[in-house]
Amino acid sequence: MARHALSWTRAAAIAGRDLKSAPGKFAFVVLSVAVGVAALVGVRGFSESFRKTLSTESRGLMGGDLSARVFRLPTDAENLKVAAVLKKYGSEARSTWVVETLSMASLTGNPAPVLVTLKAVDPAEYPYYGKAELSPAMPLGQALEGDSAVVAEEFLIRTNAHVGESLQLGNRSFKITAILTQEPDRMSAGAGMGPRVMISSDALARSGLQAPGSRASRRLLLKLPQSADAVAVRKDVENALPDAQVMDFREGNPALSQGLDHATAILSLICLVAMVLGAIGVAMAMHAHLEQRMDMLAILKAIGARSSDLLRIFLVQTLGLGLTGALLGVAAGGAVMVILPSVFGKLIPLRTQLQFPWHAAGAGLATGLLTTLLFCLPPLLDVRGVRPVLVLRRLVEQGSTSFRERIRRLAGRWIQMLFSLLTIAALGCIAWALSDSVEVAWRFAAAFAITVVVLLTLAWVALRVLRFTLNRVRLRLPSSLRHGLANLYRPGNQSAAVLASLGTGVMLILLVYLMQGSLLRDLHETASPKLPNIFLIDVTSDEAQGVKEFFRHQQGVTEPLDLMPVVSGRIVSINSTPLEKLDDRHVPRRMLENAELSWSDTLPAGDKLVQGKWWTRGDAQEMAVGEGLAKRLQIGIGSAVQIDLGGTVHTVKVTALYRADGQHVGARVSFVLPRELLKGQSTAWYGGAHVATAKVGALERALFAAYPTITVINLADVFSRIETVVDQITFVIHFLAGFSILAGLMILASSIASARFRRMREAVVLKTLGATRMRIVRTFSVEFSVLGLLAGSVGAIFANGLTRVLLKRMEVPFHVDWRATTIALLGTAVLATATGWIASYRILGLRPLEVLREE
Amino acid sequence: MIEVRNVTKAIQNGSRRVEILKGITLSIPAGQFVAIVGASGSGKSTLLGLLAGLDTPSTGEIWLDGTPIHNLNETALASVRGQKIGFVFQSYQLIATLTALENVLLPHELNLDGSGLQRARQLLQAVGLGERMEHYPVQLSGGEQQRVALARAFVVEPPIVMADEPTGNLDSTNGKLVLDLLLERNRAAKTTLVLVTHDADVAACADRKIVLKDGMVVEDTLPEPVHAGQN
Repeated sequence: MARHALSWTRAAAIAGRDLKSAPGKFAFVVLSVAVGVAALVGVRGFSESFRKTLSTESRGLMGGDLSARVFRLPTDAENLKVAAVLKKYGSEARSTWVVETLSMASLTGNPAPVLVTLKAVDPAEYPYYGKAELSPAMPLGQALEGDSAVVAEEFLIRTNAHVGESLQLGNRSFKITAILTQEPDRMSAGAGMGPRVMISSDALARSGLQAPGSRASRRLLLKLPQSADAVAVRKDVENALPDAQVMDFREGNPALSQGLDHATAILSLICLVAMVLGAIGVAMAMHAHLEQRMDMLAILKAIGARSSDLLRIFLVQTLGLGLTGALLGVAAGGAVMVILPSVFGKLIPLRTQLQFPWHAAGAGLATGLLTTLLFCLPPLLDVRGVRPVLVLRRLVEQGSTSFRERIRRLAGRWIQMLFSLLTIAALGCIAWALSDSVEVAWRFAAAFAITVVVLLTLAWVALRVLRFTLNRVRLRLPSSLRHGLANLYRPGNQSAAVLASLGTGVMLILLVYLMQGSLLRDLHETASPKLPNIFLIDVTSDEAQGVKEFFRHQQGVTEPLDLMPVVSGRIVSINSTPLEKLDDRHVPRRMLENAELSWSDTLPAGDKLVQGKWWTRGDAQEMAVGEGLAKRLQIGIGSAVQIDLGGTVHTVKVTALYRADGQHVGARVSFVLPRELLKGQSTAWYGGAHVATAKVGALERALFAAYPTITVINLADVFSRIETVVDQITFVIHFLAGFSILAGLMILASSIASARFRRMREAVVLKTLGATRMRIVRTFSVEFSVLGLLAGSVGAIFANGLTRVLLKRMEVPFHVDWRATTIALLGTAVLATATGWIASYRILGLRPLEVLREE
Repeated sequence: MIEVRNVTKAIQNGSRRVEILKGITLSIPAGQFVAIVGASGSGKSTLLGLLAGLDTPSTGEIWLDGTPIHNLNETALASVRGQKIGFVFQSYQLIATLTALENVLLPHELNLDGSGLQRARQLLQAVGLGERMEHYPVQLSGGEQQRVALARAFVVEPPIVMADEPTGNLDSTNGKLVLDLLLERNRAAKTTLVLVTHDADVAACADRKIVLKDGMVVEDTLPEPVHAGQN
């Protein structure tokens, strides 16, 4: 007779009927898959929409067809070349310069200055695309007429000012005419510090804020006729402004795109953790389900089914559950996508037009299905071991418990072990696809495998210790406590796996929290009294001596003002290797094209000579380089460096390598030359001083009154800004790590649901013996809360251990955060108890006879 | 033809080794109705399981129609079970999520193809469940469930039918009905029937009675003339 396999249709029918028999139990399985998929689709979907917004509005986001950014004043020759480029493309081609710099601003009548990001534009030209939105609505030209300014709402809030009042910028007073509600090219501007203020280019010129050598970024915006070839124009502009970072509208914003890619990759991996936890939950649920279906499997085998037939049934079932969960996850991912912009907060200052994320949905669906399948295959393969003789007798061979026998049994499960290894490899591949990096992928797969092993071991140890203790004290414990604890070892209970998965979620959240806390604490603690806490930028040579004097006479200055001259130069070649070929040195090209140079004929204060010797003659053709940068640029004593200073190329020899102590402003410049060599170059001075915190405000006010064009950066403001960004990033990660906690709880719920029949029987037996509902509530509550406490402990131990290792690598001290650890422990216990009761509350209402009659 | 040669079966329970069958040798010709009887724990169900290829012996040989099944791999054993043997269990062992008709059809789908629908319907009609084909096991009485199991055992027309206490869970009326149906189907299909029972009345219907005690055959009664005539 011909031998046929069970048809897929019949397998699907059997699988479907089986699903219908316990929909509650499978609901948890579906939700476990959905949680991870939702997180992934949400993150990648938002990223997809964000990227689309970037590309469709790229001209608007740039404010023109092409932009060229420089960090110094363009020379006359360069301006002429730019004009020639424009002429080449006809009268329709237009251009304008947009300048951005930091400055101090104060309200007229209020001497307390505020650090602002000042942007100067020509309102007749700017922006070529998009629109600067103002409140009250008015044309930008009108708002910036004469000495007028528009400001971000944040400025008004911080200074308690209103539209119509005047603010002081440099030497001039500006009337605030409107609130700047949206800048089209905000994303193309630098991160900036402080609230944004916009004035006209003419007004900036009048303000006295733009001295030669001052720190400002300038963007040349170009509007091109439609017929112009963007590639050709770009080449022309690159020739005209060789130091410029040139972008055209086709690229959108490469830095932003790259940042977005990195963020998406990291967040996707966090989502993958939630997804993997979900898949582990599904695998556990399927394992428990198969154990309950042992009779059915034996019957099927007894009437001729092969293992492959059974595998087909449960494979269809798993895929069906995975698909349902993944589809639900895609739908929920849409909701996550809508929520994400508010989670990201100010990290993304762009209104994203959300669209259905087809790619992200596809990726979520495929990843959800694949991880579910991969994790379920090892338990599904167990059907091969089901013996049909179970239909005749329950007495099954237990096997000896000798070590050799255990090894033999383990070896018999080689397919499962092989699949587990394949699963880890496949996870690596998924991580590769999500992060686009082989290194990240293998690190993720290895970290996952190690984490699972460590967490499972910790969970196993925790349970063994509990059991050991319980065995010694059990009869002295109240019976409901004893019974609840014993439930953790109930046959078929997945306590170790629940502990490991819930522990992973707790570990993730606590790890991020502890890292954030430690890094911020370190940031504050390392701000020693000797370190400068205020910095001065854009001090001119004429002002330098006066400012030094000013500080000498101020109260509260604990470390005197340290002033350092900075000259801009261009590194032409290093050891005859031209700048264009230095890309492999891992130093941003801009740092070399627009290198910051300083002069000193003696070793500057705070620097330590590590190699060579300092020059003794002021006209020596020599140079000193900071140790770190020298290493990256492969510069050593005797290296020849060519530097372009104001159009003249000098060849200097490196004669000294030094290390800055980080407590002087000298740390910010890595090239020092003899004074004579830099003579006559336009120079900006930077300064740093330590001022008693209580006196900083008064000093700022006095300095602003005497030198309104000098910008002061107060480190407290910087810390506060860093904290805001770190908080925001932490919140995003917590939001996504929350999905892992949710997946862990799903696993717990699923595990409880799969052991429901045993639990029901126990409950009715207890009731038959006279137990009240409260007694059963107490027993189960003990079980759930201890499980939560143990999971919290496992996660907290691992999170603290990992934080310690990571902080050690970052050379940041580690302290146990007992408050956070305790909250994690108790929080997990509460969540686990609540979830346990949601999954099993119906058991309480059962009447004993209902269950006993069914047996 | 079933050949059993010096078969033993032992299982390991923790550190304890339990010998269930201790050297059984017997031969059952095709078409014979054999009753295996014995007290609880005598090894009768284990022997039936070995004959049906549900388990493998610790030592010894079992041949079904010239095929050695004692050393077959899992896939080949499944094939033997599916095509050569029909099974009736004491506790019916129907798939709870399938209807009566689907339960009967299932062996056909697993072992032959999906074209057995007509035959499955005929068999259910024959066991008196023509009106209850679309019912689920939970909607059927014990006697009805066992009749579905009977129909399932015959659906692939196996040459051998094995029954483990088929009336053990039924009241006397339903037990008699099921036994009559089993014997009737057996006569109609001319199959070899091996039936495990501890009911003397049921055993009395068989052509041959094998008595087991402590894992050994202690009595093997040849067919009585009256029953031989019936077969």
